[in-house]
Amino acid sequence: MKRRTFIMTGTALGATMPFARIARADGAISWWYETATPEQQGIIARDIVEPFNAAHPGETLAIDYRGDQLDNQLRIAMLSGTGPDIVYTAGPAYVAPMAHAGQLLELDDFAAQFGWNDRILPVFLEMGRYDGKLYALPKTYETLGLFYNASLLAEHGWTPPATIEEMETLADAMLEAGILPFASGNAQWRGNNEHYVSLALNSIAGPENVYKALKGELPWTAAPFVAAITRLNDWWQKGYFGPNYFSISTEQMVVELAAGRAGMMPSGTWQFENIPTYFTGDGPEAGFVGFPSLAGAGDPIFPLGVGSTFSIAASSQNAGGAAAVIDYVFSDDAYSRLNTDWQGEWNMPLADLSGVTLGDGVLPLYTQAMQVLAQSVSENEYGYTTWTFLPPATDSFLINGIEEVWLGRRTVEDYLQELDDTFRQEMGEGKVPAVPAR
Amino acid sequence: MHRLFVLPTILINAVIIVIPALFTVALAFFRWDGISAPVFVGMANFHALWGDRVFWTALGNNIIWTALFLTVPIGIGLVVATMLLVARRGAMFFQVIYFLPMVIATVVLARVWQGMIYSPISGVNGMLQRMGFPTLDPLTQPSTALYGIATVDLWHWWGFLCVIFFAALRQVPQEQIESARIEGASFWQMMRYVLLPGIRPTITLMMIMTVIWSFLVFDFVYILTQGGPAFSSEVLSTLAYRSAFYDLAVGKAAAVAVVISVFGLAATAFYIRVQGREFEQ
Repeated sequence: MKRRTFIMTGTALGATMPFARIARADGAISWWYETATPEQQGIIARDIVEPFNAAHPGETLAIDYRGDQLDNQLRIAMLSGTGPDIVYTAGPAYVAPMAHAGQLLELDDFAAQFGWNDRILPVFLEMGRYDGKLYALPKTYETLGLFYNASLLAEHGWTPPATIEEMETLADAMLEAGILPFASGNAQWRGNNEHYVSLALNSIAGPENVYKALKGELPWTAAPFVAAITRLNDWWQKGYFGPNYFSISTEQMVVELAAGRAGMMPSGTWQFENIPTYFTGDGPEAGFVGFPSLAGAGDPIFPLGVGSTFSIAASSQNAGGAAAVIDYVFSDDAYSRLNTDWQGEWNMPLADLSGVTLGDGVLPLYTQAMQVLAQSVSENEYGYTTWTFLPPATDSFLINGIEEVWLGRRTVEDYLQELDDTFRQEMGEGKVPAVPAR
Repeated sequence: MHRLFVLPTILINAVIIVIPALFTVALAFFRWDGISAPVFVGMANFHALWGDRVFWTALGNNIIWTALFLTVPIGIGLVVATMLLVARRGAMFFQVIYFLPMVIATVVLARVWQGMIYSPISGVNGMLQRMGFPTLDPLTQPSTALYGIATVDLWHWWGFLCVIFFAALRQVPQEQIESARIEGASFWQMMRYVLLPGIRPTITLMMIMTVIWSFLVFDFVYILTQGGPAFSSEVLSTLAYRSAFYDLAVGKAAAVAVVISVFGLAATAFYIRVQGREFEQ
């Protein structure tokens, strides 16, 4: 207990404070970043730090890599008022409590000064509001869809599915051919479970119902959600996810898809990072479509996700400098550089991409998918990812509890009942993130 | 003046143990998300735990874990340490081999087992499956996940106990061992009547520490399964971690930490009592 206590309450506090003070003492604009490989750190230095410093004489941007402990360290440091200038949260769910606690600076004046209200897609500005005031901007937005092995499908005379029913027919055919329908897995990251729940909720229950549930107007135990989770469970029981789901890591999913051992991969746009590695020049070709909706329900729905956000600490002594950094990240120049060098990670929600120029090496499939996504968002045809719009304990239960359904330890109804109970409690505590009006 | 010598130790203990521990105990009576102001809720966190099926699963798993680690590694460690004592040839070499897993980082060991042994894609398990053997990755089955993790931890742990026991056995008076041999004692009689009584304080200490460590187990569980699938390998510390850092329910996590500490304190009290008795004797 003593060691655990120390880890939980003491280490982060002790470890973060001295560094925070040092970062501020040298006058630099401080920004704590998450895990990044040396190559990725090189991209950030080349595409953000160097151009920003060059364009802003007198200001110095200093990025400190905190690894996967960023979230814990940031929360403790913010509590003690010693965090970085640029607050890089793990998602909108963290913005409301931080804003409520007075740890974040209102950004409305900066938004007016820098023209963010015109430059950023309105729906994302809404997600960063608390009590009507702007506190956060999304670093990147992402969505879920259906990757597939185009070469494998062509070889068998199959076509990418346009409806859920077509997808199930295709999956059954794959099973008969000895091919795993879904390249999927959650080894090393159990959070992958929620990708499939998000898809089922949005594509089967529908985004309107999800919106109502997020606003507390419809319980999560309502019939559309029972139907959605029941269908997801049916897919599991039929073997669409395969026998090795709990053994396969996120990257191994792509390996299975590229090797033709699996035919489809329901996953997020972040997988575009891995596609060029495994779908190489002479090898199989990858494809990507929106995850299909029920027959007659219209176009595929793209559940919208925001993985992390930018805010400015209320205690920042250089708020203007921090705002200038955020403004640079949302510039055409930074978008072009970052999306050329590091696809899938820096998809800032710019309203107009006409000033963006991507390099020749960018995967055409990625460019095309991002254009379709931006178009869908601008036409309000989007859904809701659970990790962006659910409060923390509800999301945590959604991830872990679905395994109990899949493994026959709980019924769909019991699962949704506990999900609803947890959601109601967190809603009462004001923890539900902002949900943009449809 | 000489009392000043204990001041640094007291200060260190107060800062890194007593104060955080007291804060944790206090937090168990609050609802706190780690961001906004804590709200006093009395015993609500403990009531919530009482009705939480995952908490009981985690507690049960900690008890199973303790039972496993009180028997398997201690048994293997004792037998192998005695064999090293009896057959001295190569004792140094084998000590190094047995101890080696202890000096490798936990995360490396866990990833090696997960990726190179258990994995049906990249591990020995997958190779066996492709050869036609109906093997399964134990980490993926609710009935075997905890034992799959325990196997990895046991593999890395028993060598440590073996080395500790071997060091203790070497302190047993040689005359006692020689007289037992002259009296014609068998290997098991030698263990039962000479060696085990000779190292009883060491065995007791290791057993008490095993109880404490078993309720603190976190790293292998978190790396290999994160408590899954379907909470089947959840232990108290992973439950506390998930509550604090994923559910943002720091008060509930603190309540779990208090439960963990109760078992640790009980084991410590028992040890102090046993030690007191031996001291009196």
